[in-house]
Amino acid sequence: MEELKHVLVFGLFHSATYLVFSLGFSLIFGVARLPNISYGALYILTGYITYALISQLGVPLYLAIPASILATIAASLAIGEVAIKPAIRFPVSMFITTMAVAYIFEEVFRIQMGLVPATLPYYPGTTFVLGIPVSNHWLLVVGICSLMVLALLAFLFKTGTGRAIRAVAESWEESMRLGVNPLRVLRITLLVSGLYAALTSILLVPLKALTPTAGWTPLFAAFAIVVLGGLGSVLGTAVASLIYGFAEQLVVFTLGGGIARVVPLVLIVLVLTFRPHGLFGRGE
Amino acid sequence: MAFAKQSGLRRAKRLLPALAVAAAYAALPALGLGGYWLDVLTRANIFLLIALSLDLYSGTTFYLNLGVPFTVGTSAYALAVLNKYYGIPVEYGILPAVLVSVALSFAIFLPSLRVRGAYFAILSLLLPIIAAGLVTSLPLSLYLGGEGGIHYPRLLYSYAMSLPVSERLPYLRLSYFYISVAAAAIAFAVSYKVAYSDFGFMLRSIGQDELLAEASGIDTLRVKLVGFTISSFLAALAGALHAAMTPPVTAEVFVPANTLVPPLTAMILGGMGTIVGPAVANYLVLIVYEFLWGVVGRWRSVFYMSLLIVLVLLKPQGVVFYVYLRLRKAVAGMIGKIRRGA
Repeated sequence: MEELKHVLVFGLFHSATYLVFSLGFSLIFGVARLPNISYGALYILTGYITYALISQLGVPLYLAIPASILATIAASLAIGEVAIKPAIRFPVSMFITTMAVAYIFEEVFRIQMGLVPATLPYYPGTTFVLGIPVSNHWLLVVGICSLMVLALLAFLFKTGTGRAIRAVAESWEESMRLGVNPLRVLRITLLVSGLYAALTSILLVPLKALTPTAGWTPLFAAFAIVVLGGLGSVLGTAVASLIYGFAEQLVVFTLGGGIARVVPLVLIVLVLTFRPHGLFGRGE
Repeated sequence: MAFAKQSGLRRAKRLLPALAVAAAYAALPALGLGGYWLDVLTRANIFLLIALSLDLYSGTTFYLNLGVPFTVGTSAYALAVLNKYYGIPVEYGILPAVLVSVALSFAIFLPSLRVRGAYFAILSLLLPIIAAGLVTSLPLSLYLGGEGGIHYPRLLYSYAMSLPVSERLPYLRLSYFYISVAAAAIAFAVSYKVAYSDFGFMLRSIGQDELLAEASGIDTLRVKLVGFTISSFLAALAGALHAAMTPPVTAEVFVPANTLVPPLTAMILGGMGTIVGPAVANYLVLIVYEFLWGVVGRWRSVFYMSLLIVLVLLKPQGVVFYVYLRLRKAVAGMIGKIRRGA
């Protein structure tokens, strides 16, 4: 019973962070039509920049966070210019370029930071949720994540730019016919997804150790969630995040954290076998 | 690109340049090459199998199989496990390890029944990264040695121990070189034969347009399955040989930066699906890789990945194969001139 409560509470918390991260991922996925493998690299980039600013240069937290967010957004736009835009028509090319970018970041941090896990300061104190002691930082994370989801929904469904993004995700050619510039939309999505990856990193790194390979776990989680929920469906992404978060925590609490790495793979294979378009995705 | 049947003599003549290159290469140790650089070439020979594996399947069908490190790694681990837990010497463990690894590699192939293109590529990339995490974390790490990996006596170790101390290392180096040369030569011959046969033509037709290939009466599933099996076999053999020659085996074999990026760069640099191009590029990439150590040190893999991006964007059709075609034409022209003169 105690374990089930753990799974419920931490499953919900993880779902919130995965939702934010995978919304950013699915934005790019929808507009560029291809998964951006370097998206996980943005996660470690923000973490390491903030860590370096705070621990090695002594910059105060309230300055370090905006600085690293801006740096990550700049990196996201740069990746778009170098690795995504020139390759957008060639799936194999874009795949290789974004993967190479991801490994470049991983190698650079492996060389510069070593394999010793880095961490960031967190919001102190504990609260009891359903009788389970939970770090206050988790509550902060869930609060900010909810706000970020609402903000993104408002942006996507209440603004002209949001409508343009949805139009491009629907059909690149049609949107051009209607006077939307898809490359401008691509830049905006890169900016937004960079921001969301950066915020997830700043919220999550204090709870999980940061290593050069830490970007793959959230990337695969995001990919599994987008496949499970169906590309282009915000509701699907939300439901899939919940399923993924609970499934992952269930495995962590029963079989251990090592085995939990297999969760995204098993989920993806199951979805592709039984519902190739995802839970809420539309058919061709 | 099936060639018309040629007479035995003509075919033998066509093979002459390739045989001459192979013979010259195999004679390198006799010409005084030894020590460190012989190890580098042995490694390059083994990586040739990975490059060919990648080129034979991904280069022709455009199903980008980034799961190659999974095949290489499972084969290496299978060899180590067979030795440590079942007492099978590495000399006899290579073939069973390859078979185990090929069987496990169908896990990569399975999603391609459902998905194409980018989906297949990211799914195949999942496997090696997950495997690298699995072997170093509980509970599998207890069995597989965790970060330290599995230790075992290397290939031909028991025989080498019967030699005088000063001869052991040179003997192992030389025999590893020739084993790897033999494996590389066989793998190259098989890949070339397959890629330029009717079967290779079918693989390429899948890369061009899978629906059209199917409509033309090609059993695409069967062709993909057979192509994938041959390709995994090459990668698995590379993994088992590498593990047999350089114990211990650690999770490093699963890391794509180690066992995927050099062959992938070779494939793109060489020209996808051309076999000859990636084979030559493989040696270029790995030998330059050694020189880069002195120039950029640990940054050399960053350098290679940047090169990969530039190549993919600017020269996706490859460089080496076209240089090779030009050279061949020039040489043929020269020979013709000499003949006409004589």
